[in-house]
Amino acid sequence: MTLGDAFDILLCLLILTAAAGVIGGRDLFGSVALFIVYGLLLTIAWVRLGAVDVALAEGAIGAGLTGVLLLGAAAKMDDGAGQRPSFRPGALLLCAGVAGGLGWAVVSLAQPAAGLIPLVRENLPVAGADNPVTAVLLNFRGWDTLMEAAVLLIALVGVWALSPEDSWGGRSGLTQRVRVDGVLGTFGRFLPPIGFVVGVYLVWVGTSAPGGAFQGGTVVAAVWLLAIMAGVVEPPPVASIRLRLLLMAGPAVFLATGIWGFAAGAFMAFDPAYAKPLILAVELVLALSIAATLALLVIGRPRRPQ
Amino acid sequence: MTGFLYAAALVILATICVSMWRVLRGPTRADRIMGAQLIGTGGVAVLVLLSLVHRQAGVLDLALLLALLAAFAAVGFVKSQSADGAGDPEGES
Repeated sequence: MTLGDAFDILLCLLILTAAAGVIGGRDLFGSVALFIVYGLLLTIAWVRLGAVDVALAEGAIGAGLTGVLLLGAAAKMDDGAGQRPSFRPGALLLCAGVAGGLGWAVVSLAQPAAGLIPLVRENLPVAGADNPVTAVLLNFRGWDTLMEAAVLLIALVGVWALSPEDSWGGRSGLTQRVRVDGVLGTFGRFLPPIGFVVGVYLVWVGTSAPGGAFQGGTVVAAVWLLAIMAGVVEPPPVASIRLRLLLMAGPAVFLATGIWGFAAGAFMAFDPAYAKPLILAVELVLALSIAATLALLVIGRPRRPQ
Repeated sequence: MTGFLYAAALVILATICVSMWRVLRGPTRADRIMGAQLIGTGGVAVLVLLSLVHRQAGVLDLALLLALLAAFAAVGFVKSQSADGAGDPEGES
């Protein structure tokens, strides 16, 4: 056994321990804390599997957004005793069934699976992106990515629809009270500029190396959320036309380039000559829309009367 | 060289095991979150070492990203511990 194998085995044991702790823990808050750790360990596991793009997405979402979201949710569900919801055998059976079915499906895959890798490699020179993952997401299967962007937008509309009558159109979440010269206030002013640069970098580098609109957008969303939680900026009112244009811009630009694709022969088809600038433009605008959508999803519905 | 890097990564993974015990055990909520934060720091170190092993673009970017975002869970934690989830423990003591 090499040291690399030992590393992988220990990593797997840690992941299994974290997963068992998340499911079996008696304390809801403890489960959430373990889930944050679980996400981080999974990020390392994806790197070991060679899927750095997935690792970037998992790392950005897990560290930047789900931690904040779940900690806030656990605090709201807390009845003081820290009790977790009662045990439901039906849910357990259903989850075990789905997990078992998925496991069986993976094991019963034809070996060796040919996959689509040769096809992607062959067409990479005309895709406008050197990173095969970006080429698939934005060019070969752009249709799926467009739908994903639309799903995010619809989810946000769903969250907004839960707002009570008197606060509709107002700002999302509650007014944050922060001591301006405190640790949180300083952190909230110091980190967002750095995070914004990192987010834009991840979008830019996405055409040739791991990265992309989703990862970069998530980083921007996380630092925007931090600035809001630190009381540095206020979320815009949900009735704001400028905010709505920002949320729509990504899917709209993507759709427009898709329609332009008719010039190259079909819907969502990119002319190889323009593919790279088109992909970059779509990714940059999409990243900003994804950032705004994700941040507003985590903040939640409008809660303050106007 | 790879062997040395793996050995170093294993040592850091062992310290993550110790932090994991703290996250599992508690007893206070702050203990759990601080344990998770320490695992975040260890995770960044492991990724930096792995970026040298794998020589793959993006792994170092990932370490940078986690270093940037790892403290967010602590921010979420202090927020969730105030009465309505919008306060700052420093401002209210």
